[in-house]
Amino acid sequence: MPVQSPPAFHGFGLGLRVPHYADFIATQQPVDFVEVISENFMVDGGRPLDIIDRVRERYRVALHGVSMNLGSVDAVDLDYLRRLRALARRVDPLWISDHVSWTGVDGFNTHDLLPLPYTEEALDVLAANVSIAQDVLGRALVLENPSTYVAFADSMMTEAAFLSALCERTGCQLLLDVNNIYVSATNHGLDPDDWLQGLPLERVRQVHLAGHSQGRDMLIDTHDAPVPDPVWRLYARFASRLGHVATMIERDDHIPPLADLLAELQQARLIAASAARQAA
Amino acid sequence: MSLGELQRQFIASVSGTDARESFDTQGMRVYANNYRSQLVTTLRDTYAKTRLWLGDETFDLAAERYVDEHVPSSWTLDAYGHDFPDLLERDYPDDPDVSELAWLDGTLRQAFSGHDGAAIDAGALIADDWDRVEFVFVPTLRFRRMRSNAVSIWKALADEILPPGAVQTSAGDGVRVWRRGLSPRFASMDARECACLDLALAGATFGEICERLRQLHASAAMAAEAGGLLRAWVDDGLVLSLRQG
Repeated sequence: MPVQSPPAFHGFGLGLRVPHYADFIATQQPVDFVEVISENFMVDGGRPLDIIDRVRERYRVALHGVSMNLGSVDAVDLDYLRRLRALARRVDPLWISDHVSWTGVDGFNTHDLLPLPYTEEALDVLAANVSIAQDVLGRALVLENPSTYVAFADSMMTEAAFLSALCERTGCQLLLDVNNIYVSATNHGLDPDDWLQGLPLERVRQVHLAGHSQGRDMLIDTHDAPVPDPVWRLYARFASRLGHVATMIERDDHIPPLADLLAELQQARLIAASAARQAA
Repeated sequence: MSLGELQRQFIASVSGTDARESFDTQGMRVYANNYRSQLVTTLRDTYAKTRLWLGDETFDLAAERYVDEHVPSSWTLDAYGHDFPDLLERDYPDDPDVSELAWLDGTLRQAFSGHDGAAIDAGALIADDWDRVEFVFVPTLRFRRMRSNAVSIWKALADEILPPGAVQTSAGDGVRVWRRGLSPRFASMDARECACLDLALAGATFGEICERLRQLHASAAMAAEAGGLLRAWVDDGLVLSLRQG
């Protein structure tokens, strides 16, 4: 069944987190949209739903999930999808996103975004689950490339080829996390500049920009620091090829004052504008 | 290896139930650390006052034991840790304040995002036959009997003042937790209120609650006492509606 793609939208936004709820509700902040973590609002009632209603009065909202478990051999969780659908009806989001990953199997949920081998079997499983989710939600999903710390010898294709095939089979769109590209490529000894090779760029609906930290052996996708220079530079190189795409700063820990994040978002605007001028 | 086999082996490695090094050791260390630290962080967040009471190190040891014994299964982390007070009750059988503090922490957290319910006010206390009236409570209402002064300890910790020492309290006293509007609330209850609320939640009529009060106290002012309790429940925003039984 053909899925309905989200409408075109090219703004600049921020991930909305608890310390900034009041700022966003009290005053119109200079963002075109906010992205919220879906699961935080997939609740029965109380303050979370009051907050999302008040945020929605001022801003367009993208719903970003972390628990759809699309890459698992487990059946997709219909209770989860129904709750997400109810939230979507309440919020009328720009789009609904989640990750090209799995979180658990046999009912064991690690609450982490686990890596998939890039094999035909994984593609079959993932595509089937994405199709079910899209049917229940009545729209095309926007799916994000995760940071990974393990690569599998079984993988038969690149991550970009895997994502491309997924888009082809399901009609889904892509959320390109530039930090995740940098982290995964660095951890696996690849060149991040090669990452877009073979990717259907017209499918990229949104870009995430975030920071990471240096672990003992690897880069860790911690979202606890400003966007670092290597990620800005990678974004600058990608921006001219991506064209106008909704872009946002994602910060989940050590959350700074809102002004700091808005300054980072302004930097993204400038880079995108410069890329657009160069492309013209 | 099939995808299912790979995923089961991966989970076993992440959760530490399989010591084989089937995947890259450095990478698996990241996933294993993420897994445990996220669950412990969730427990710290949900049971914040309990953590203050026990101290970080002791709390984290209990949290780690809980993670060892409890597999997260729900799509939401909010569901993880519901049985943590039971673990503390087992670990501290002579210190009921610990598990009761955790129960209060956890129940307040559940009330925060529980189902909405618009409570009635005193103007809605109208019935033709009060003896047959049953009470429907707001969906977030929970109660339990307490053996310690955990409620006082919780309040002191919330107010950032020196908490009282733990003491055993009268048998039958308790605490109720609910949400009024958007704000989770709690209130201590004496043994009479506990008994009555227990009955009311089980579907007893107002007449049956009055009879219970009469058995407890042989009080001549039994009807006034029952009326006072009902008025307090309504004023606190506990009652959703009256139902003719």
